[in-house]
Amino acid sequence: MIKIPTRILLVDDEKDFVEMLSMHLSEAGEQVSAAYSGKECLEKLAQSAFDVVILDIKMPGMDGIQTLREIKSMFPLVEVVLLTGHGSTETAVRGMKLGAFDYLLKPADFEDLTAKLEGAKKKRDEQEERIRQAEARLLLRKGGNI
Amino acid sequence: MTAEQFHNIRLLLIDDEDHFRQTLFKRLGKRGLKAHQAGSGEEGLAIMKAEPVDVVVLDVKMPGLDGIEALKRIKSEWPQAEVIFLTGHSTTQDGVEGIKAGAFDYLSKPVEFEHLLEKIKQAYEKKYRGEERRQEAAYKARIEQQMIATERLASLGTLAAGVAHEINNPLAIINEAAGYLDLLLKKDELAGMPRRKDFEKAVEKISNGVKRARAITHQLLGSVRKQEPLVAEVDLQELSEETLQLVRKEAANKEIQLIQTAGGNLRPIWIDPNQVRQILINLLTNAIHATGAGGTISVHFEAEKGSTTLIISDTGKGIPRENMEKIFEPFFSDKPPGEGTGLGLFVTRQIVDKLGGNIEVQSRIGVGTSIKVVLPNRSPMKPD
Repeated sequence: MIKIPTRILLVDDEKDFVEMLSMHLSEAGEQVSAAYSGKECLEKLAQSAFDVVILDIKMPGMDGIQTLREIKSMFPLVEVVLLTGHGSTETAVRGMKLGAFDYLLKPADFEDLTAKLEGAKKKRDEQEERIRQAEARLLLRKGGNI
Repeated sequence: MTAEQFHNIRLLLIDDEDHFRQTLFKRLGKRGLKAHQAGSGEEGLAIMKAEPVDVVVLDVKMPGLDGIEALKRIKSEWPQAEVIFLTGHSTTQDGVEGIKAGAFDYLSKPVEFEHLLEKIKQAYEKKYRGEERRQEAAYKARIEQQMIATERLASLGTLAAGVAHEINNPLAIINEAAGYLDLLLKKDELAGMPRRKDFEKAVEKISNGVKRARAITHQLLGSVRKQEPLVAEVDLQELSEETLQLVRKEAANKEIQLIQTAGGNLRPIWIDPNQVRQILINLLTNAIHATGAGGTISVHFEAEKGSTTLIISDTGKGIPRENMEKIFEPFFSDKPPGEGTGLGLFVTRQIVDKLGGNIEVQSRIGVGTSIKVVLPNRSPMKPD
């Protein structure tokens, strides 16, 4: 079975990390774009469709939590996996409450990361499917009324 | 001074004049004060070796070991004993010498009995107060030392966690680079690459190194991680069984038997289950590492009033005496490099402290180790 690549947007101000993880994920068959700030992340999301955003919490300017808030209000279907080098799980838990799919501590185990990405993608697909069905039902009902 | 204290004074009379000494002994006895007697300096020292003495009444002029010499020996061997020096009539010179050598005071013969009695009381009170002060000072020193150790560990923990956080980012880069290379090396297009095996081996070493470093940084961050305090009603036996499941496979691989027992009227307690689980995992992991094939690890719970005691005992190799003080220090480990982070007990003690509990270790080489953790029962109303 051919794997459909997950469209991933990787957001982190650590350029070397973004570069290496992008190459790693691409090599593993995913489709990865990079952004180096919260602002750039929102711009990229507005330009193209993504399934999952991997988001660093600690960034200068707009931090991960702020960015997450914006993503969830502007692009509610996009799932977010938080990635943090910080020990504070409080922040990560706060992120989950704001709608993040899950979080991982840096350096993350690659298999853990891909499993979480898969889970996030599945959730997004199911959500999309539900919306599609609801829309179809709506159309059908409208059609019946005519 | 109370009458009881007065009667408890342990007194020694050293004087070669038998008549004087005997008379003094009798008069003191009438006042309820028992004394040892010695007819010479040597005899006096021999008594002090055998019996504890608070106050010595010492004559200066004696054949053989004279008063000054006897005084010097007493003060050097029993510095806490107080000595009242008895000098000949109007020889203040001897008295001054005596005080210089550490006597409490001196009296000139003939001695007024009531005066001597008063001096004995004063000397005893001085000794008693000195002992109190010494005990107080020793206690203070002990507490200060504990505080310094605690503060040192706390600041070390914070610093280490800060370093761990800074290291996690570059570690993540190395991790992804190694993972990427590993994937590349598995590609068909690189099947014929010269010395591919060497590359694979090197990449594997990098990945293993990262895993090792990550175990340390994550554990360090965990030790200072500010988690939301959770207080829930916890059935410790249930929690322990759950935790034992996590290590059962590792124990079975080493042919170690795991036993759980409980005593007293064990009821659920209010505590943070995550922290208790962490304590159990850390202690069980250590026990498994220390115990050889065929050994036993037992987890025992005991309910007490206001607290619950948890004892994890193993039949392992035991902890050498010289390591007992170090086992709670961060990065102390007796395991080979890479097998232990040296943070298990450090983190465990931090958690126990946070929970307001207490941890004690008993160990005998070749017999095993037993770690006792006392956890307070929290009130469900106070979530901290």
